[in-house]
Amino acid sequence: MDWGKVKFFLGEVLANLTRNAAMQITAIGTVAVAIAMLGAFLFVQKTAAEVGGQALQQIEVSAFLKDGLDAKAGAALTARVAKLPGVAHVAFVPKAEGLKQLRNKLRGEVDTSLLTTNPLPDALRIQAKHVDDVAAVAGKVRVMPGVAEVHYGAETVQKLLRLMAIAQRIGLGVIVLLVVASFFIISNTIRLTVYARRREISIMQLVGATNNYIRMPFIAEGVIAGVFGAALAVAILVVAQRQLLPKLAAAIPFVPLPAALPDLLPVALQLLGIGALVGAIASWISVGRYLRV
Amino acid sequence: MIELRSVSLTYPNGVRAIDALDLKIGKGEFVFLVGHSGTGKSSLLRLLYREQVPSSGDVCVDGVAVHRMRAGAVPRLRRNVGVVFQDFKLLGGKTVWENVAFALQVTGAKTRDVMRQVPRCLDLVGLSQKSRMFPHELSGGEQQRTAIARALVNNPKILLCDEPTGNLDPSNTTEIMELLQRINTKGTTVVVATHNQAVVDRMRKRVVRLENGRIVGDEERGFYFLGLGQGQVLSG
Repeated sequence: MDWGKVKFFLGEVLANLTRNAAMQITAIGTVAVAIAMLGAFLFVQKTAAEVGGQALQQIEVSAFLKDGLDAKAGAALTARVAKLPGVAHVAFVPKAEGLKQLRNKLRGEVDTSLLTTNPLPDALRIQAKHVDDVAAVAGKVRVMPGVAEVHYGAETVQKLLRLMAIAQRIGLGVIVLLVVASFFIISNTIRLTVYARRREISIMQLVGATNNYIRMPFIAEGVIAGVFGAALAVAILVVAQRQLLPKLAAAIPFVPLPAALPDLLPVALQLLGIGALVGAIASWISVGRYLRV
Repeated sequence: MIELRSVSLTYPNGVRAIDALDLKIGKGEFVFLVGHSGTGKSSLLRLLYREQVPSSGDVCVDGVAVHRMRAGAVPRLRRNVGVVFQDFKLLGGKTVWENVAFALQVTGAKTRDVMRQVPRCLDLVGLSQKSRMFPHELSGGEQQRTAIARALVNNPKILLCDEPTGNLDPSNTTEIMELLQRINTKGTTVVVATHNQAVVDRMRKRVVRLENGRIVGDEERGFYFLGLGQGQVLSG
């Protein structure tokens, strides 16, 4: 390790950063805002995916059985359904049990004491292993002998899946836009610092510095701006998560925020990575314009 | 050391700076390029360190075909060819030492070499005592000597000077020319483009005279004006 070389290189980077301090701060600030928005978006998207996933997990298939099936036939059917691929769990609910559950559910809303006979059939409650299996399971159960009707909230499932797909696409678009914006901001800043140092660059070229060598300090500078911006953004997000989110959750109780918030660390690392990468590429391109011999 | 064969250079704006020029400069020579402004002296030098690529013809420097050189190979050439300008081109934020060291550092030299070469060059140009000063604290002659030290720090075989004394008074001019002569006697090929008649006439070196991008005179031990010296030689 040649410490003299390291010292020279760091000195050049530092001189660059301090000479254009105001410009750098502007760039870092703007990058921070862009990346904070990006981070907030990633966070919201992750939360939405989790909420959606939880909702989908709760979807179950109800199969109502034909009247007059005896307990043995019910048990046989239950066993058959349990063997179907994609089925996680099956419960046989006799009509008496079904009525009890219904009474509990509607307590205080509907006077169920008016019911003199039990209108409910025996039923199977089927839990699919995965949302995608729900439709297939329902279809197979529907054609089994002894099954009268199958319900599984088909439309709700379809809508929810469609909604999540759209949200993902919009999210991707927003992310691309924000990354592009950060890219241009950093690239503009670097271009200004390159312009301020064009004399040095021309002398470097004159004495035989390679283009890669000339680029290095600028790329380091771009990476620093990107990482600092991203770090600032992460700080903003942490504060927002700690301070803002509980208040938000209290304000809109009908939105089912997940009990455990997604971990911010992977998002933070992603953002830092994006910041560094964007900074490096933006610098590379900005300096390139001045290096053509 | 330097050889140009039917070299022409036409700038994008249509100006023909060099016109079918042939020139040969041997190892260890000291050559003046003279002529009015705009006769192609600077353009000729620029071809030699590949700031410009000829429109046609061959340019060979130290056995390397510069006209066919890839952009990636240019840095290597530049380390072999020192260049000095009228306006010095020093970095104002760096000291004399740092300006000279810069040329080594940006070529990735080892610190050990920097510590050895920089004092050697500062000693050669007589600036050892002023190594910590900034360019604005120096006289024009001292600034030019710093630039020469920087041009020499990579141990180039060729030193190209474009009007090196254009901004200097007569005493500083003499000082710089003596320095260039000393560098030449150590084996470096020196090419100086100049307007300065007094310098050329006093030094009595080979004089190549340009006019409209062509060589109109080439004399050993020549004078600034054509035909005053003896031993006219044909170039090529």
